[in-house]
Amino acid sequence: MEVLKINGIEKQFPAGQLPSTVAELLEQLDIKPATVVAEIDGQIIERKKFAETKLRNGQSIELVRFVGGG
Amino acid sequence: MTSIDENLKQAVVGIAGLGGVGSTVAVALCRAGVGHLVIADFDKVESSNLSRQQYFTDQVGRNKVDATIENLQRINPGMKVEGHRGKLNAHNVPEIFVGADVIAECFDTAQAKQMIVETVLTKMDKPIVVSVSGLAGYGNSNAIQSRRISDRLILVGDGVSSTESGQVLMAARVGIAACHQANAIVEVIVDEIQA
Repeated sequence: MEVLKINGIEKQFPAGQLPSTVAELLEQLDIKPATVVAEIDGQIIERKKFAETKLRNGQSIELVRFVGGG
Repeated sequence: MTSIDENLKQAVVGIAGLGGVGSTVAVALCRAGVGHLVIADFDKVESSNLSRQQYFTDQVGRNKVDATIENLQRINPGMKVEGHRGKLNAHNVPEIFVGADVIAECFDTAQAKQMIVETVLTKMDKPIVVSVSGLAGYGNSNAIQSRRISDRLILVGDGVSSTESGQVLMAARVGIAACHQANAIVEVIVDEIQA
């Protein structure tokens, strides 16, 4: 089992099935990249780097999602 | 003057977007005694805005920045207000809000909110950003919360009630979120920023 902590909640993945990048994780969660700010272990990941930013077992990810209205 | 008043007077707050949220935050911070606002919007006041935004019938057609400055000066002529009449983007945000202690994200679309929060957190060193997500509709007042996401990010709203899902924006619930935001800004200025 591998694990990512997403917004404080541990999400488990069978060995070898951890999403490989931030972009892949967002796709699995059905979140549009243009509406989320992502932070991995306290560091902000720019949206343009979602596809190249690799994920590793045990990381803590904060996904701040935005919806319209202001 | 108390130290709270002095901190507020010395503070510089940026407001990105002057719709229902931004125009209300501007008024609340002006009345609270914040000394310096930097406000930005590209839009003009429309009659439909009057359902929830802090403008008046005789201001329809005017630039929102100019109308907001006029209103704030009627409340407190001593407050410094700097206006930017144009669209904000990832390139001009750091220039326009240079020197700000706190930035209020008051845009309408999810994409614009994402843009400014990411820009402030990655391209600027100092400001704390207070953003709003989820304030459409009516009722359910207590679902709107303020949460500290990280050292430099505070998120206000219920996270789900949106214009994309067809909910309308109404003065009361927009106002709750805007005053959460203004209150979080006052708290940050008083408790975390040294005058």
